[in-house]
Amino acid sequence: MEQKKNFMVLGSADPNIIGPRMGRLRFEGKDEIETPNFLALTSRGAVPHMTPDVIASNTNIRGIHMALEDSISLADLTYGPLPGSKRISKMADRTEEWLSDLLKSRCQAIFAPVLPLDFDSQSEYINRLADDLADEIAGLAFYDSNLLPDMPATTSLSRLPRLSLDEPASPHHIIRQVSLGMDIFTIPFLGFATDAGIALTFRFPRPLPGDTDIPIDNGTAVVPLGVDMWMPTHATSLLPLSQSCSCYTCTSHHRAYIQHLLSAKEMLGWVLLQIHNHHILSSFFCSIRSSLKDGTFYSDAEDFAKIYESELPEKSGKGPRVRGYQYRSEGPGEEKKNEAAWGNLGPDDLVEGGLVPDENAEELEEKGFAERLS
Amino acid sequence: MPSALKYELVARCSTTKARAATLTLPHGPVSLPLFMPVATQASLKGLTPQQLEETGCRLCLNNTYHLGLKPGQDVLEKVGGAHNLQGWKYNILTDSGGFQMVSLLKLANITEEGVRFLSPHDGSPMLLTPEHSIALQNTIGSDIIMQLDDVLVTTSPDAKRMKEAMERSVRWLDRCIAAHANPARQNLFCIIQGGLDLELRKTCCIEMVARNTPGIAIGGLSGGEAKSDYCKVVNTCTSLLPEMKPRYVMGIGYPEDLVVSVALGADMFDCVWPTRTARFGNAITRCGVLNLRHSRYANDFRPVEEGCECVCCRQGEGGLGVTRAFVHHLAAKETVGAHLLTMHNVHYQLSLMRSVREAIIEDRFPAFLRQFFRDRYDGDKTSYPDWAVEALKTVGVDLMEN
Ligand SMILES: [Zn+2]
Ligand SMILES: [Zn+2]
Repeated sequence: MEQKKNFMVLGSADPNIIGPRMGRLRFEGKDEIETPNFLALTSRGAVPHMTPDVIASNTNIRGIHMALEDSISLADLTYGPLPGSKRISKMADRTEEWLSDLLKSRCQAIFAPVLPLDFDSQSEYINRLADDLADEIAGLAFYDSNLLPDMPATTSLSRLPRLSLDEPASPHHIIRQVSLGMDIFTIPFLGFATDAGIALTFRFPRPLPGDTDIPIDNGTAVVPLGVDMWMPTHATSLLPLSQSCSCYTCTSHHRAYIQHLLSAKEMLGWVLLQIHNHHILSSFFCSIRSSLKDGTFYSDAEDFAKIYESELPEKSGKGPRVRGYQYRSEGPGEEKKNEAAWGNLGPDDLVEGGLVPDENAEELEEKGFAERLS
Repeated sequence: MPSALKYELVARCSTTKARAATLTLPHGPVSLPLFMPVATQASLKGLTPQQLEETGCRLCLNNTYHLGLKPGQDVLEKVGGAHNLQGWKYNILTDSGGFQMVSLLKLANITEEGVRFLSPHDGSPMLLTPEHSIALQNTIGSDIIMQLDDVLVTTSPDAKRMKEAMERSVRWLDRCIAAHANPARQNLFCIIQGGLDLELRKTCCIEMVARNTPGIAIGGLSGGEAKSDYCKVVNTCTSLLPEMKPRYVMGIGYPEDLVVSVALGADMFDCVWPTRTARFGNAITRCGVLNLRHSRYANDFRPVEEGCECVCCRQGEGGLGVTRAFVHHLAAKETVGAHLLTMHNVHYQLSLMRSVREAIIEDRFPAFLRQFFRDRYDGDKTSYPDWAVEALKTVGVDLMEN
């Protein structure tokens, strides 16, 4: 069946031009998003740390993210060492076969994978996509963004939205992929930063007025991409994570609280970082789109490369506890009919609340917690 | 002593000892009877302060012991107290820290000076006094602060020690009152002790009421005693307490315990259970606790609790319409599942207390109690807990009556 046209390239759509582009993506019954843009990664249908009401009231993430998660097809990928040459040719064949089956059986939007192989090894498959299947698929999913320039310069393919599964390691990589013409991104470093206690602070193409953590010596030193909130220096800081940020976390809370929550291993610390980091990414893409609109993207990209550090800050603290709780039932039948006794409400909190102090006697005294006797 | 609260009695149940009141604290009014969720370390299990506000909560609890360790008095001083630390515009109650100290630091022992313990790291002897506890709570800036008490498990067989603990708690109250730096901004509550010995409890009530603190807590309960004994203590104490002061029973949170304690004349409660149990996939509902991890919920597309008005259950504008199946699917895998149930459970507790209050005001609390137990036990009177039936009889409500 033919796919409803869900994507529109804005501005020049000449398939022979390899370069950044803007577009508009829409799925039936969902909001539309402007591209380039990113999708929030979900796990079991939920964005980690954030409940749906938090997402709705505090982020720009829309329903479309979920819709797309379902439609990215899982290519026949091998993890680990590269497959042998015989396997490579089979891999493209099998993917083609599998995609045809999928298109026959499902009526929802399917993104066809472009495999992480050199172009020649999958040329037959890609040509089939361009010639026969382009009308039926909703887009292309790239596991390797470097293959983008090799794609056949046909209108049938170039009008499809391009989704990057090429896991950019930093905003610099995002910019590079945008410059190759990528439209939609998934950004695993966003979640890694949150779990590592890092507040992302980069802006495109340069810091906004009022942003802190910028080296003062005017433009010569590089600006960090984020702030490690585990650093004890934030313990009494009443500054927001980023002064130019208008997210819930930055408008309602300060660094001292985030620092406290991380060191107390309270889940809310990661919730607040996740809200902020998603907001930073949304603004980053928004600025990229404005820059494309204004025709200043290339010079802005150059500025960004000069201004910002190449990598995210090192992780120094511990991440959230591994997800998954102790399996234990505390079912309704816990109270007996006669002379029921109170359940002991102690031990769990002992474990989870870090009740045995990390501090030694001197520190306890300094904190005003108690006094030393000798 | 000065007080930073106003207690206005709104209605009294004509049958039981239940009261409805409005308590105005430094950070706004709260409606009694009241359940207070526990945000131990200045955060409630992954909920943003905004989400907590949306559950209707206007008074939550922070633990002094935890805040004293992290972030510590120095940081609290610099950031301007616990309200500023957590961005919470409403009221906070803190405990004294003594309970955690004694129950968790195995080496702690109590002397007349205070709680002595050995630093777990270097073994050096340390002392936490009533003065330390009050100074810390003054820095925290909580709207209600608690005296340091000599707390002993109610089931302790040592009658002499129990008497000593009660008397010491009275002496420590005097030290707390003397040490309290902000009586015009923070309300110090005394804590009635005396274990299960009703005579000790009576003496303690008389002594402490004479100290005229703005509010009164009944302490040392929910420590493993039989519930019938618990009820006798609460009933005895409330009869001796002044009408126009709030009465707080510490550590109580099971729905049945809440409604029975209200009938016995108590106003305020706190407990970690509703938020803790959410982490194990348990949803508190009118008909009992559902463990949503059970496979029977895998394809149950009803809301967590039908008719519940919380953000999690509500359908339509502003509601999430979360199903049991969705929570089941997330349970044990993503913290979001626990956050959702935490929202629901806190909402359940608060809305239970709101309906209790309405019932008192409309003077139909006995009927409310009968309906509450019918719902909870699916109409099967033979499974009603004896302790609850007995306790309610003492205040004129017979659950067995048709
Ligand atoms: Zn922010
Ligand atoms: Zn609910």
